Amino acid sequence: MAIIFYKEPKLKNPVMFCGWPGIGNIGLTAIDTLRVVLKAEEFGQIEPWDFFDPQQVRIANGLLKDLEFPSNKFYFQRLETCPEPCRRDRDSIFFIGQQQPGEGPARYAQGQKAYEMANLVLDVAEKFGCQRVYTSGAAVTAIHHTARPRVWAVPNKQNLIAEIKEYDNTILMSQIEGRSNQGAITGLNGLLLGVAKKRGLEAICLMGEIPYYLQGAPWPYPKGSESVLRVLLKILDVTVDPSASSGQALSRLDKLAEKVEENIEGFLESLYAAEAVPPEVRDEIERLRHVSHEPGPITEEEQKRIMEHIDELFDQRPWKDEKGPSTGGGTQ
Amino acid sequence: MKKDPRQAGEPSNIFRFSGPAGAWRFENPTLIIAWDEDAGKLGPKVVEYINRQLDAKSLCEVELAGFFSLEGVAVENDIAQFPQGKFYYCGRNDLVVFKSNEPRLERHKFLDGLCDFAQRYCKISQLYTLGATVSSVAHTDSRRILAVFNQEQIQQELSPLGVENMNWQGPPAVSSFLLWVAQRKGIPGVSLWTEIPFYLAAGEDFQAIKATLSFLDKRFDLSLDLAELDEQIRCQNAKIDRLRQDDAQIDGYIRTLESKLSLSADEQVELSKKVAEAL
Repeated sequence: MAIIFYKEPKLKNPVMFCGWPGIGNIGLTAIDTLRVVLKAEEFGQIEPWDFFDPQQVRIANGLLKDLEFPSNKFYFQRLETCPEPCRRDRDSIFFIGQQQPGEGPARYAQGQKAYEMANLVLDVAEKFGCQRVYTSGAAVTAIHHTARPRVWAVPNKQNLIAEIKEYDNTILMSQIEGRSNQGAITGLNGLLLGVAKKRGLEAICLMGEIPYYLQGAPWPYPKGSESVLRVLLKILDVTVDPSASSGQALSRLDKLAEKVEENIEGFLESLYAAEAVPPEVRDEIERLRHVSHEPGPITEEEQKRIMEHIDELFDQRPWKDEKGPSTGGGTQ
Repeated sequence: MKKDPRQAGEPSNIFRFSGPAGAWRFENPTLIIAWDEDAGKLGPKVVEYINRQLDAKSLCEVELAGFFSLEGVAVENDIAQFPQGKFYYCGRNDLVVFKSNEPRLERHKFLDGLCDFAQRYCKISQLYTLGATVSSVAHTDSRRILAVFNQEQIQQELSPLGVENMNWQGPPAVSSFLLWVAQRKGIPGVSLWTEIPFYLAAGEDFQAIKATLSFLDKRFDLSLDLAELDEQIRCQNAKIDRLRQDDAQIDGYIRTLESKLSLSADEQVELSKKVAEAL
């Protein structure tokens, strides 16, 4: 297991931002859009083959041309070359992973592989002098998809609480009704927070809210990403020029969020029309349209019942390889 | 001094010798690899045939822990199954055989260890993987052997022997992953994919097995006696012929395939089911 660096930039007091796929790809989309806005430059990667199986092979005219693995890349941006005006006093490092490492059938990172990956990422953070790491993911909660998602923040050190309280549209676990100041962060987001704590690094996980009836959906939830991104831009004090290419990245995210919301409306309406979900489930979802952010009247049992009906409607993609690439003779 | 692969820290320590190390002699052999999870049982049957005819002995076997889920056993055809992976010495110094279940975990480590062991302790010069590719050919058609190479030189060597180049872009089988690992280690390799009719994929396709064995026989001058397979092919074809005589619909489906036309999904299921019952 190795990290390959294409270059070793000298960075001033950098902050690391980590994004990988998860529920609604909220964290990945937020961090990757920030990377695009800041025009960060790729400078290294973690060798993927000990963490992931290859996803794609390209065979042309009998020759094995390429085997593609999920990528895990590092990017950097220096303050003085940042295209957007900002009052930051820190450079940036980004880690963007296309997949979470895991063992067995688990959906998100767990086990030794995930622990090794978290340590490799933090090796890079420490190598370049980072003292602060941000991760991002989804907070599955009882909100409607038309509501503005808040950002849940979990730090790994007590001294970060005061700073978090200054963030816009952001809440701590203790401020969420019915949670009793407790919760869990699964996958690499949680693991990285813990490993950073062990190493004495500050880390904060920012989680954009997503309606619980969409947590199994195969499409992204950019509305949650937008909320996280706005907090990150504020933290970095970045002002984005809407007419610049970086501003267009934000605009694309806005448009995608609108489109996804329209699609969700259409999807739910088609389910209701087809009577694919029981009336009481429909009523429970619709009731959320008119309630505030608090978990409110939806109980865990009701949530489970809704999930049972919605999740089964999302398709699974079949898997094929060279053993059965087609029914037409094995070549394409 | 020659290192013991069982020594901790060695990449090839995923293997445990079945007998005393050094009881074999190789001279730049070819490594033939088959995975147990294969349509029509093609790969494992080919290797079993070679091992039986050449009186192969187990050389070493893979340590299972870390590569397979060892939470119990699977039961197939009333028999408890357990994963295994073994190297075989065939009494010839130019051939070494590896037959294994596909690793479920740590696939890169497994394949890397496999190549490493084969390179360091067997000094292999090249590797061949065997497998079946499910096709809509009829059982009465000849079986093409499609090939994927990891170097142009081995492609040039094998092209005159009648293999056809494969084209494919999508999820890789374990053999392609292995070919890629071998490529990075400078080991020339080829994956042979023998066509089998989809309606024989759940059972055995003796004709595809024979086509693959014939290719290997010719390539490595193995002097294999394939008479047993000829009898199995004759017997299998006779059973399918009887089914065709008794069932006009099935005969029609097979005629469609013989005409190079395709069947609908439902028709494919029906044909597969009826053939499985008949065999």
